[in-house]
Amino acid sequence: MGMNILVCVKQVPDSADTIELCEGSSRIIYKEGTVFRMNRYDEFALEEALLIKECFPGTIVDAVSVGPDRVSLSIRKALETGADQGIHLRVESDQYLTPFARASLIAGFARAGSYDLIMAGIMAEDDMECQVGQILAEMLCLPCATSVIFQEMSKDEKTVYVEREIEGGVHECITLPMPALLTIQSGINTPRYPSLSNVLRARSQKIEMIESQMAAALIMDRTVIGLGYPRQPSAGEYLEGTPAAKASALLKILHEAAIL
Amino acid sequence: MRRRFYIIALHAHGKILPETYELISFVRDIGGEEKTGIILGSKPGIVMMARELAQKTGMDIICATSKYLENYNAQGYKDALKGLIDCTDPCYICIPHTATGFDFGPLLGAALNIPCISAIEDVHDGVLIRSMFGGRIHARIKPPGPCAILTVQPGAWEGSAACSGPAGPVRIVHSDISPGKTIIHKLKVPASKDVGFADAEVIISAGRGIGSEQNLALIKRLAAMFQRSAIGATRAACDLGWLGYDHQIGVTGRTVSPRLYMACGISGAVQHISGMRNSRLIVAINTDPHAAIFRVASYCIVEDIKTFIPLVLEEYSRMSGISF
Ligand SMILES: Cc1cc2nc3c(=O)[nH]c(=O)nc-3n(C[C@H](O)[C@H](O)[C@H](O)COP(=O)(O)OP(=O)(O)OC[C@H]3O[C@@H](n4cnc5c(N)ncnc54)[C@H](O)[C@@H]3O)c2cc1C
Ligand SMILES: Nc1ncnc2c1ncn2[C@@H]1O[C@H](COP(=O)(O)O)[C@@H](O)[C@H]1O
Repeated sequence: MGMNILVCVKQVPDSADTIELCEGSSRIIYKEGTVFRMNRYDEFALEEALLIKECFPGTIVDAVSVGPDRVSLSIRKALETGADQGIHLRVESDQYLTPFARASLIAGFARAGSYDLIMAGIMAEDDMECQVGQILAEMLCLPCATSVIFQEMSKDEKTVYVEREIEGGVHECITLPMPALLTIQSGINTPRYPSLSNVLRARSQKIEMIESQMAAALIMDRTVIGLGYPRQPSAGEYLEGTPAAKASALLKILHEAAIL
Repeated sequence: MRRRFYIIALHAHGKILPETYELISFVRDIGGEEKTGIILGSKPGIVMMARELAQKTGMDIICATSKYLENYNAQGYKDALKGLIDCTDPCYICIPHTATGFDFGPLLGAALNIPCISAIEDVHDGVLIRSMFGGRIHARIKPPGPCAILTVQPGAWEGSAACSGPAGPVRIVHSDISPGKTIIHKLKVPASKDVGFADAEVIISAGRGIGSEQNLALIKRLAAMFQRSAIGATRAACDLGWLGYDHQIGVTGRTVSPRLYMACGISGAVQHISGMRNSRLIVAINTDPHAAIFRVASYCIVEDIKTFIPLVLEEYSRMSGISF
């Protein structure tokens, strides 16, 4: 038996320090030397897929990413970590794509692939939209659980029991029929590091490249009209001076507030 | 034609959640006038809640009932709302961005074929503002079409006060939805350990920015300066295994409001801030002057915790004659 699992991985810049905003535009410019990596929530999703593969022999784990050329590095990373195949849904430029556009591209691919389980992260760390997994589920008519912090596949691979983390530390527990889509919350597991054998295997492996024919309507569907640094509304005071001066200023403040 | 604002009420354990009332303040700020509240559930409890909502808000309320809505389930919510909302006229569907709201909001958007703008935290001149990169950057957004789903960040607006006018009308409709594909089990509340938040006057919290588990020693020494202190953490620090999840502060952790909250190497993602923003005095130490945590801090210190905390400890020892 075994299942076909698809993991959605997004590539994000490692830190916001190396991005630049273009005044009056909705584009982000990545400065020279920007380091990109896999979205952390997707690392948890990939690990969970690999754990399922270990329990259910014959399972295949594919990793898919939508983005420009650079995202193939994150797909490679997924292969090194243990994914079987990588799929790059390539888009021409580094433009912002709406969650709907990204989900449409993944749905276009996944429809053909017939997956038993699709896993995504709960959220991408850069755009923080929490949407792509759910939209993808709706497009593929799959039942969906978000914010999954525990999952257990039934032995017959027909259902999956999941616990969703909701506010206040409470877990909502549900059983979904397969095929299904789960969006994974951080902390569900401890993502592994790539093993040497997988790194060697991945080196020679080809990533399937699919040129994405983005419908014009999707590209036009731009909702972001501008990006900027938040205004500074707080009355917060920046302590100035040498580090030592800041340290004594802090102690004085705490003393005056009768905390120390 | 005026745009209609649908306010989707969320409830748990027979009570309307406060985030529902925050939506009303949000709609006021965006200048919405035509409001309709929608509440979903099973009889008879849901009808009482619908009346309460009509009383407190004065809004027209649609109360959609079905035995398949007895417990929250994404498919039931999506199908019921799809049956109630007609997108031929301009409308915004407002939903709290809670674990429930972001579960069904994007599904509903896809089902109605309208965009979903998520985690909105501010409005300026009718333009929606949402965070990116942990709150370091704000995006200004205008939905592209006449209709959209808008999910609103909990805590970003004050809940509106109860209105003094007459109660709005309640229309009870039966939602003809089919049973969901999912089986719903009982809620689970995982056992948690007390880490002393309740008694703590001072909470020193560690984020990913402390860099390594070794540097936790600095945080502990800093905490030891105070008499009644506890150690807090971000989810990221807990995920790395540096501290147990019982230390986590934020939407999916604990909510605290000590006299002093010190955020060390914490970016200030909205999910963290919502658990500590009511602390009396907030001091943040972060190497990034643009970090979002500085927007809620009373005192902002742009320094590396690895070098700065030792200076604080040293200076305090000198002053007090006790070493830490
Ligand atoms: C549904 C959901 C629920 C969530 N619930 C919670 C929750 O309850 N609580 C929570 O905390 N998070 C929660 N999160 C995660 C949240 O979005 C953030 O990812 C998390 O809070 C970030 O943690 P952090 O600030 O430690 O790490 P980062 O965002 O990585 O920030 C690290 C910071 O440290 C600074 N830094 C780096 N080096 C140094 C140095 N040497 N000295 C000083 N500063 C330094 C950096 O400039 C940066 O600002 C949730 C997310 C989701 C999607
Ligand atoms: N460009 C992308 N390529 C592949 N997967 C993506 C992409 N964007 C989002 N996802 C998936 O959807 C999840 C939620 O992303 P978002 O809705 O953008 O917050 C991510 O954790 C990924 O698993």
